[in-house]
Amino acid sequence: MELQSLRLVNYRNYTDLTLNFSDGVNVFLGENAQGKTNLLESIYVLALARSHRTSSDKDLIRWQEKEATISGRVKKNISDTPLSLHFSNKGKKARVNHLEQSKLSQYIGQLNVILFAPEDLELVKGAPSVRRRFIDMEFGQMNPLYLYNTTQYRRILKERNAYLKRLQMKQTTDTIFLDVLTEQLVDIGSQVLLARQTFLERLEVAAQPIHAEISNKRETLTLRYQTSIDFEKGTDLATIKAVFEQTLKKQQTREIMQGSTLVGPHRDDIQFIVNDNDVAVFGSQGQQRTTALAIKLAEIDLMQQETGEYPILLLDDVLSELDANRQTHLLLAIQDKVQTFITAPTLSDVARQLIHAPKVFHVQQGEIVLEEQVE
Amino acid sequence: MDYPEPIAKLIDSYTKLPGIGSKTATRLAFYTLGMDEKDVLDFSKSLVSAKKDLTFCSVCGNITENSINPCVICRDATRDQSTVFVVENSRDVMAMENTRDYHGLYHILNGVISPSAGTGPEDINLPSLIRRLSEHQEIDEVIVGTNVTAEGEATAMYLARLLKPAGIKVTRLAHGLAVGSDIDYADQLTLIKAVQGRTEL
Repeated sequence: MELQSLRLVNYRNYTDLTLNFSDGVNVFLGENAQGKTNLLESIYVLALARSHRTSSDKDLIRWQEKEATISGRVKKNISDTPLSLHFSNKGKKARVNHLEQSKLSQYIGQLNVILFAPEDLELVKGAPSVRRRFIDMEFGQMNPLYLYNTTQYRRILKERNAYLKRLQMKQTTDTIFLDVLTEQLVDIGSQVLLARQTFLERLEVAAQPIHAEISNKRETLTLRYQTSIDFEKGTDLATIKAVFEQTLKKQQTREIMQGSTLVGPHRDDIQFIVNDNDVAVFGSQGQQRTTALAIKLAEIDLMQQETGEYPILLLDDVLSELDANRQTHLLLAIQDKVQTFITAPTLSDVARQLIHAPKVFHVQQGEIVLEEQVE
Repeated sequence: MDYPEPIAKLIDSYTKLPGIGSKTATRLAFYTLGMDEKDVLDFSKSLVSAKKDLTFCSVCGNITENSINPCVICRDATRDQSTVFVVENSRDVMAMENTRDYHGLYHILNGVISPSAGTGPEDINLPSLIRRLSEHQEIDEVIVGTNVTAEGEATAMYLARLLKPAGIKVTRLAHGLAVGSDIDYADQLTLIKAVQGRTEL
């Protein structure tokens, strides 16, 4: 899919701006604090009806204004759909094809975006919870049952931990109810474990060739699913349930002593292995960047497999973080396939040579001062 | 300026009701001022009476008048004495009674087990169910009609584990499609549940 045009009215530092985009690469060039990232953010908001930078929609409205509108036209293989989002102090209204949508869930999914920002390096370096949130968010977008199961799992876990606390404090000695919670936890948790395993296998398949490409075929990326429940690839649901249950049984005394559930998907992690080494620990900055980049680009392919359309890619200040070689491979990977929006203070020579006919927008203080189609 | 004390107190009382904030409470309080004195008196009497003249049935836990305990359902000998329908609250009993299709007895838990909310198995009306079942050997089926939430399911499973060893048949209400509904309008999870619980024709 492609975003053909975008109109911003009273959005952040833009009064009224209309842009027409190229189906290939679009570049927002400008100094810091001119509004490049605001433009990229507006596309993200148009897709997901919320910002990745703020949880308050009020921040999106231009200073001293009351309402803001983002609208755009999205082209999919056969259709051409106008989308619009209107923000005011009363909340937000989402329209598809000029029709107001009563539920945001009906709106989200009309435009699929993948954003890559410098913070995404945390995916490799950050805490395990960052990686669990990543799987839950990305896979949840594609699979509603998985989304439901993860929410249920969290609820059951909360109940189980509360009951373990009661047992720990000797407020009760009834372990039958603990068995019930264990059964529920195992039932839902095993489905989560299996779904994550399957998703990571698919992600690995998609990420490997991209990673090899970016690293000049010198490095091989593998994803290792680290879980406190010990099962091999290809294990069926019934076996996972049995193993999960046994593992919990073994821990039961310790769990009651500590008043907390010690094993399960809530303790999962993903290890990114490059040439037999854990990148988070032994990798260089560059290797960590390459890994994060490969994972993000692999998501593009997964989303295409799942929805039948390529999403659009937003790259926020990422090029300057990569060396010439990695820039080359990133740009080659997306060429002629995915509509891409890039923000950068300047374009490197590499990028200038490689990006095929980019459309460049020079951003200065909330206005586009120059629009050029590079041939 | 503050409101005179009587109306300020009334507003304060209204805000204690669920779903009512200070603005709605103020509107209700001023509306009450404009009502007939008789209606207001009746209203206040009903409020007090609901609290004073009602109690929980000593057998099933349903709400009943002080003078009628055990409740009318438990006293009714024409009802099927071999089946007990377990629900979370009295409103569920009314919903079931409105079907006019169930003629057995009830047991009202007045809650669900939820340790995170501080409710353990002993904090709901469960011990009385166990006692009731051991005293009345004629009960041979317990239908569990708790809500289809994680807590409702956990409570149902707990009941099954307690009762099955005693040789009592424990059944659970089915989940799936609503009657008269279109499949294309059903949400994905309901459909998945309906497929899992499909029956042979």
